[in-house]
Amino acid sequence: MKKKVLLAPLDPVHDIGLKMIKRGLEQNGHDTLLMPPDYSQEEIIKAIVDNDVDVVLISRTLGYGVAEILGKFIDLAEAAGIRDKVKIGIGGMAIRPELAAELGFDAGFGPGTTVEEAVAFVEGREYVPSESGIKQNKKDITQGYDYSFRNKRIEKLLDTIVDGILDYTSNKTSTAILRAELRRQILDSTDESEKQKLRQEYARYCDDVVKSFYEAGKYREKTRPLTKDEVKALRGYVDDVNFRMNPIKLQHTDKNPAVFIQYGTGCPFMDIAHIKSCEAWGADGVVHFDPSWGARTEGFLEGYITHEEDGSIITYENLKSIKESLAPYTLWQVRAHRGLNTPETVLLAGKIGADLTKINIAYGSLSGGTDPSRLTVDAVAAIKYAAEFGMPFDVVTNEELSGVPAFKAFAGMLIVSKLGLRLGGKPILQPLFCYSPEVMINGQMVDNYVDFNAAKIYCLRNIVNAPIWCGAPIGFLTQTEDRVQSSMMTALHASLASSLGVDAISIASSDEAFSKGPITAASRIDTLRATQASFRFFGHADITPTENAKKWAAEMEEGIEKVLEAVAKKGNFVDALYQGLLGSREDGAYPGRAGRNTVISKS
Amino acid sequence: MPDILEKVMDAVDVETYLVCKDEEEAERLSVELMEKLGFQDISIVFIQHQGPGARVRVRGYIYKPGDKYSWLFDQRK
Repeated sequence: MKKKVLLAPLDPVHDIGLKMIKRGLEQNGHDTLLMPPDYSQEEIIKAIVDNDVDVVLISRTLGYGVAEILGKFIDLAEAAGIRDKVKIGIGGMAIRPELAAELGFDAGFGPGTTVEEAVAFVEGREYVPSESGIKQNKKDITQGYDYSFRNKRIEKLLDTIVDGILDYTSNKTSTAILRAELRRQILDSTDESEKQKLRQEYARYCDDVVKSFYEAGKYREKTRPLTKDEVKALRGYVDDVNFRMNPIKLQHTDKNPAVFIQYGTGCPFMDIAHIKSCEAWGADGVVHFDPSWGARTEGFLEGYITHEEDGSIITYENLKSIKESLAPYTLWQVRAHRGLNTPETVLLAGKIGADLTKINIAYGSLSGGTDPSRLTVDAVAAIKYAAEFGMPFDVVTNEELSGVPAFKAFAGMLIVSKLGLRLGGKPILQPLFCYSPEVMINGQMVDNYVDFNAAKIYCLRNIVNAPIWCGAPIGFLTQTEDRVQSSMMTALHASLASSLGVDAISIASSDEAFSKGPITAASRIDTLRATQASFRFFGHADITPTENAKKWAAEMEEGIEKVLEAVAKKGNFVDALYQGLLGSREDGAYPGRAGRNTVISKS
Repeated sequence: MPDILEKVMDAVDVETYLVCKDEEEAERLSVELMEKLGFQDISIVFIQHQGPGARVRVRGYIYKPGDKYSWLFDQRK
């Protein structure tokens, strides 16, 4: 029903909010009358009477004397006999709903009130927030991509290389693959004595530090089991926090990518506390970081275990407690891109219900410390698990941070992606948005941080129709220890990624460049806030790279093709890794040694 | 430790601008400031001296990963 609404700023100057509401009311078919600022209470009451309005909306921005002024306004309304006939709402920076109710207003609207809320009040209906402002569903990063190759020459080379990888791994296995199979049996068994036997067998394939855990209950140094009281308290904490969750949405437009944060404080409970804080401040997804020593250790521990150093220990129980703490709309990734436990990591992630994992043989073996042959064999098994559990995986290219040029890192990424497709998986390309050694040396970022990053996206889009998730984290090596500069660098890279139409980004905290202590929850919120502000700032507007971006993209594509030709010609992907075709010692990449000579021949 | 600090999830950052002659002095003053405020596990996160003084961000850790966090047990009180 059409209403006649008087809008009056009970304030010397401020009436912007009322102007916005006036527009909203008129768009909804109501008649409005906006009074200028700086009118007295008496003058406003007179205008209400003279114009015979149905609803009055008063605004008050200044906090000084607010209760007295508004109390007097209500008294005057009652004295004029309009209080029962006219609905009166009050809003503005100085207003809180409790104060409005106490003073006798029909409604109070504090900072952050939307025009829709005010319109609902005028129309006498309950305010239902628009769906665009509410998190509801998990984003499927791979949706809409068919993985068709635009560069057919590259596709053909990749197929040749993938044939070689599958042939190489067909008669090989490893202790990691055997452990993953045993872990599956342990998880599936309901018979405790059978589980014990399986654990004993599992321990046979582990390093001594893990073996001593299963055989003698010993914990590695700087780790301890979390107590029953702590586990119980965690459940209460998560329940209470979930009850009061009302998460912010970071995205301002549909083109803004999903935003992931990375956690791995060492303690799964501190991780959960950080995750819940990040969910509240708008993170769409979270990425599990394991300790670096975990990647060099054969076998996983069991139970709720905390750790005093970076990286949170992977156990079934730790991962399960993290999974159970997540909001239903939060994407969860467990990394399996390096190390001696990749198949079991993906198995655990899949069994527990992770949405995503991370696998890259080239990065894991050239900059992640794992032997190329071992990781190739393990990664094929890991990708098969990812496919079985329907978990897309990103193929990270962090070898760039060791000095490997982007075109070589991308060649490795494309090989693993094609391998993933062949095995039924859904790979996600993960180019770095970073200030890499390559550009430091060659000068592509002397002028700006835009062009070379844009070139990477143009190049990949020219090659294949696949999802892109910029990592990890975006802006790496551009951030300093100053939280303002750090947050701003993250936010600008986020908007660049958005402008280039990517599907997801991983962001750092504002502690990214601080290395003397653990990352804090507050520093995580800094960059989420900055990213939200940057998305708001650019909206659908784009960032325009210079001509260099297209030129460098073409050079990159040419470089990738040459690398793939060399790898295909070599005839053996693993040999190509050892010999530096996908990143050489001169570049700064060294084939990993963890797990060397541990591949087992099935024959 | 006062009870209120048990409500801090992990650390307290103090940000300010110290009037001092160089970065070395700023570092010393930053640590002294935090000690005076009663923090024990102190880290200088950011410090930059320019002209009249230094912009600083100093951190006092209340809990580090692996500690027993009081706030974990406080929820239902």
